[in-house]
Amino acid sequence: MCLGIPMQITEINGFNARCTAKGVDRDISLFMLQHEPIEIGDFVMVHVGYAIEKMTPQEASSTWELFDQLLEAEET
Amino acid sequence: MPLTAQQWLDKIRALPLPSKVKIMNVCGGHERSITMAGLRTVLPPNIELIPGPGCPVCICPEEDVYAAIQLALREKIILVAFGDMLRVPVNVSKQEPRSLEQAKALGGDIRPLASPLEALQMAKQNPKQTVVFFAAGFETTTAPVAALLAEGVPDNLLILLSGRLTWPAVAMLLDSGQAGFDALIAPGHVATVMGSDEWQFVVEKHHLPAAVAGFTPDSLLAAIYSTLRQLIDNKRFLDNCYPQLVTPSGNVTAKRCLQETMTIEDANWRGVGTIPASGFRLREAKWDARIQLPDYASEKRQRGGEMPPGCDCAKVVLGNIYPNQCRLYGKACTPRTPVGPCMVSEEGACRIWWAGGVRF
Ligand code: SF4
Repeated sequence: MCLGIPMQITEINGFNARCTAKGVDRDISLFMLQHEPIEIGDFVMVHVGYAIEKMTPQEASSTWELFDQLLEAEET
Repeated sequence: MPLTAQQWLDKIRALPLPSKVKIMNVCGGHERSITMAGLRTVLPPNIELIPGPGCPVCICPEEDVYAAIQLALREKIILVAFGDMLRVPVNVSKQEPRSLEQAKALGGDIRPLASPLEALQMAKQNPKQTVVFFAAGFETTTAPVAALLAEGVPDNLLILLSGRLTWPAVAMLLDSGQAGFDALIAPGHVATVMGSDEWQFVVEKHHLPAAVAGFTPDSLLAAIYSTLRQLIDNKRFLDNCYPQLVTPSGNVTAKRCLQETMTIEDANWRGVGTIPASGFRLREAKWDARIQLPDYASEKRQRGGEMPPGCDCAKVVLGNIYPNQCRLYGKACTPRTPVGPCMVSEEGACRIWWAGGVRF
């Protein structure tokens, strides 16, 4: 539950946002990022459905790479 | 250009290392990356990486899990909890259900969720029923619960809160004088939410090297390198090896939500005992399942060290032993037949080591 997942925002509706990561779409909350300007296309670190911080696309992709490796390691 | 994991590793290997250095991490996510990337096997043998109290499911008080089971079975409610919590065993006689999963099989309306937002949805979809959200977790999970409450919830949603702060557990270990580690890797996402400043006490009060790390091997190795350099150079500072997300003061809105909806109190950690100022309490009685419904987490159940018989989770959580030093590890206790919470949770060191292929 503590693993954060980087996602990219595709729609914003108040504090709610539609996000995508690797072809999976999720509704998440931007409530905890109301002190920051957020735009469609931004990447955010998502924890239990809440964005906890903005992040760069580079950081998002290196975290995704890590997840791919973790999943692979756990499967073998 | 940031350094790669291999470059950090080369830098670490080139250091004039002391004969033994123990570095503790306090985050299940860190332990997972360390184990899955096999960092222990590639680092010089004098560096020991110790998994510490980084698993909220493992330290969630036994009496709180028991209370959740009783609420689900005896009250007319829907109980929702993070999936990991459903298999956590409590100590009861053979006839009684020993986990939420077993209580569900006996007819309790118990549903797993992955986000506090799902608890809200459940309450809205079932306006005539009471929904109890059993919310166990560290700051990264408790802040979203606080945000949910700050944004407003319907009256039929109650919270059974079992939220904990991570730094007081490390403070307790260090204050005991028997911490058993020489440096600390501070948790990246806890620091993202709460700010890295929370961890200053490690360097200022206890003069141990410390660094906040992210979850990729390069960030973890950078943090390991930083703490080793601090030891060798006899300098101390809290390094931030996850500047992409972590700032000294953290997420201001998350902290405001916590402040507005919760207070901090002494709290029980399963297998550990009471840690001062380490638990969250709901400010408003109207949200609190412990107040609105019968409280089954009676004082009687609050015994110190109450992990299941034979299970060494308490020692694993405190970093006193490695998972494979438990006599049940991989024998009576595997992810299929978990004896203790450290084998149940995705963030439990026993489960992570087993999934990572560590046998005996
Ligand atoms: S291996 Fe199982 S019984 Fe042993 S400490 Fe870990 S969870 Fe407890």
